[in-house]
Amino acid sequence: MSGGQSVVGEGAARRASDGRIGWLFDPKLITVALASVAVVVAGGLVQVSFGAYSMTVGEAWRAVLDPAVLLDPRWLLHFLVGEGLMRSLTGFQGELPELAHGTLIVWNIRLPRVFVAAIVGMNLGISGAIFQAVTRNELASPFILGVSSGAGLMILLTLVVFGGLSAFLPLIAALGGAVAFLIVYAIAWKNGTSPVRLVLAGVIVGTVFNSLQTGLFFFANDISVVQSAIQWTTGSLTSTDWEQVRMALPWTVVAVVLSLAGSRQLNLLLLGEQTAKSLGMSIEKVRFALSGVAVLAAAASIAVAGIVSFVGLIVPHVVRNLVGSDYKRVIVGCLFVGPALMVAADVGARLGMSVITGADAQIPVGIVTGLIGGPYFLYLMRKRQNMGEL
Amino acid sequence: MSTDHVNTTRTGATDEPNGTTDASGTADTGDTTGASDLDGEDLVLGYSNAERPVIDGESIAAEPGAVTALVGPNGSGKSTLLKGLATQLAPEDGSVLVDGRDVHAMDTKSLARKLGLLSQESTSPNSITVEDLVYHGRYPHRGFFERTTEEDAHAVERAIELAGCGHLRQREVGSLSGGQKQLAWIAMVLAQNTDVLLLDEPTTFLDLHHQMEVMEIIETLRDESDVTVVVVLHDIEQAARLADRMVALKDGEIRARGAPEEIVTEDLLADVFRVDADVVQTENGPRVTPLRARHEE
Repeated sequence: MSGGQSVVGEGAARRASDGRIGWLFDPKLITVALASVAVVVAGGLVQVSFGAYSMTVGEAWRAVLDPAVLLDPRWLLHFLVGEGLMRSLTGFQGELPELAHGTLIVWNIRLPRVFVAAIVGMNLGISGAIFQAVTRNELASPFILGVSSGAGLMILLTLVVFGGLSAFLPLIAALGGAVAFLIVYAIAWKNGTSPVRLVLAGVIVGTVFNSLQTGLFFFANDISVVQSAIQWTTGSLTSTDWEQVRMALPWTVVAVVLSLAGSRQLNLLLLGEQTAKSLGMSIEKVRFALSGVAVLAAAASIAVAGIVSFVGLIVPHVVRNLVGSDYKRVIVGCLFVGPALMVAADVGARLGMSVITGADAQIPVGIVTGLIGGPYFLYLMRKRQNMGEL
Repeated sequence: MSTDHVNTTRTGATDEPNGTTDASGTADTGDTTGASDLDGEDLVLGYSNAERPVIDGESIAAEPGAVTALVGPNGSGKSTLLKGLATQLAPEDGSVLVDGRDVHAMDTKSLARKLGLLSQESTSPNSITVEDLVYHGRYPHRGFFERTTEEDAHAVERAIELAGCGHLRQREVGSLSGGQKQLAWIAMVLAQNTDVLLLDEPTTFLDLHHQMEVMEIIETLRDESDVTVVVVLHDIEQAARLADRMVALKDGEIRARGAPEEIVTEDLLADVFRVDADVVQTENGPRVTPLRARHEE
C-alpha cells in the first residue's frame, strides 16, 4: 500500500507541477517554436530589405526598430487600428511626426505584408490541424469541407458577374467558404454524421462548385479580371497592407483562443467516435463547433490572402512529426510553424521571379506553397510506410 | 492478513466514487451494497440499414455489484445488446435505466460518470503514452476548462495499478502488443471510475497470458469493489468461470439466464451454440469439451 501511495504522490506531483501551462515547456515544442521564429525573422528581414527601394540588412534593421515608430504609441496605433480609431483613442488631432524615408517604406509597405503572411500561416495551420482531427484523416486540409470551392465560386461570381461588389470581395469570399461548409454539413447530416460522410459531402460540393467556378472563367471578358481571379483562387499577398492585418487579426485571436480551448476535445476525438461518446462527449455538438472554429480561421485567411493551398495540409503534418500527437502541443506548434512556412514562401513569391529571370514580377504565394508542398509529400511517402494515419 | 487487505481496498474503492457521485447530485439507490443497477427494458435494437431489428423486445437486468456475462454464437446479438445498454445505439423501443433513471434523459457527462464502456475495437494515435491515454478516462469528471486534480491523479494511479500496466505507463501506445494495448484501454475505462462497466469481448484476440490478466482484473473488480460488470465473452468456459450470472442469446433472443452451472449444460450448448459437447463440473467451473458441430437437417 505504501509503495502504491508513493507512486500516487509522484504522479500527482508531476502533473500538478505541470500546472496549466507546464506542458508548454516541452523541449521539442520549444525547439520548434524557436526555429520557426528564426525563420520568420530571417524571412521578414529579407522581405523588408529587398525590393524596388533596396536597403542593406543593417538599414532594414534600423528601419524596423526605428524608435520614432516603436516608442510612439500614436504611430503604432495608426498602423494597428487605423488612423481614425487612433485619433479617437488618443485624442490626438495634429499631424504625426515625420518618419525617415526608409522607415516609411518598411513600416507602411513591407512589414505589414510579413505580418499578413504570419497571420495567414497561423490560421491555416490551426484550421488544418482541427480538420485533421475532426475527420480523423491526416491528409485533410482546411479546405476539405468545401470552404475553398465555396470561396472560389463567390470570388469568380463577384469579379465576373457582380463587378460592383468587388470592394467587398474579401468578405464575400470568406462568407462563400462558410456557406459552402454549412451546405456540406447539411448534406452529410443524417441522424448525426461521421468523418467519412463529411469528407464525401465535401468532395461532392467541391466538385459542383469548382465546375461552376471554371465555367465562369469563360464569361470573363477581360484578361485583368482573369488574372485577378487567379490571384484570389491561388492565394496571393501582393499589395497587402495594414488594412489586411486589421481585418484578420481579431478573428485570428478568436480562432486561436477557441482552438486552444478545444484541444482537449480534439485529443478525445482522436480516440474514435465510440470512445469519445462513451466518455461522455456530445460528439455532434463538439464536432460542429470545432469545425466552425476551423472554418472561421480558414475564412479569415481567405479574406486577406485568397485560397492558399497546401499550408493547412503540411503544417499540422510537420508539427505532429516534430512534437507528437497531443493536440495542445500540435496547436501551439502550428501557431509557429504556419507563419514560418508562409513568410518563407512569400519571400519566394515576392522576390523569386526577379532573382531567377530578372523581371520585376511577383507570383501568387499559393504557387510557391504548392511547389514546396508537393516535394514534401513525396519525401514523406518515400520515408514512411503508413500515410494518412493519425 | 488477506481479509485486512481486501477491507482496506474496499473502503478505499467505495469512498471515492460515492463522494463524487453524491456531489453531482445523484440520489443513492438506497441499496444496501451501494452498487448500481443497470436495466434494459423491452429493448428493440437494430441498425438503420437492416430491415428487422437485431434484438426485438428483450429485457435484461444486470445484478448489482456482480459480473453478468452475455454469451452466444456469432451474430446472436450479444454485442448489439451491449451497445444498446451502453447507449452507443439508440433503442427503437424500450429503455435503459441506470439506478432507475433513463439514460437518454441523462446529461452525457453525468452518464459517463455512471457507466463506462470498453469497445471491441479502439483506436488511438500511435504516439500517445499509456499514461496520457488513461488520463483521457477522466474526461467526464472534468469541466471544460478544468485541469487535472489530485483526485484525477489518484483515480489514474488506481486504474493503472489495477490493470497492471504500471511498467507500460511511459510507453507509446503504438509500440505495444495487442495484449498490452488492451490493458492500457482497460486502465482508461477504470480511470473513468464508473459504477457500471460494460466490456465488449475484452479477451478476444489476446494471447493466453493476457486473457488471464484481463480475467483477473474483472475478478478483482468483482471481489473488491461494488462495480456492476456486464461482459460479452466468446469463450463459454471463461464466461462460466468469471460470471456470477450468465445470459445466453441466440438470434437476438435471450434463451437462458441464470447461474453458470444452470446455463452451461449439454442441452443449452446444443440449442444455442449448435455443438454436441461434454460438460463436466469441476472445481474451476464447468469444463466444456466440444465434440462436433450439429448440422440441422
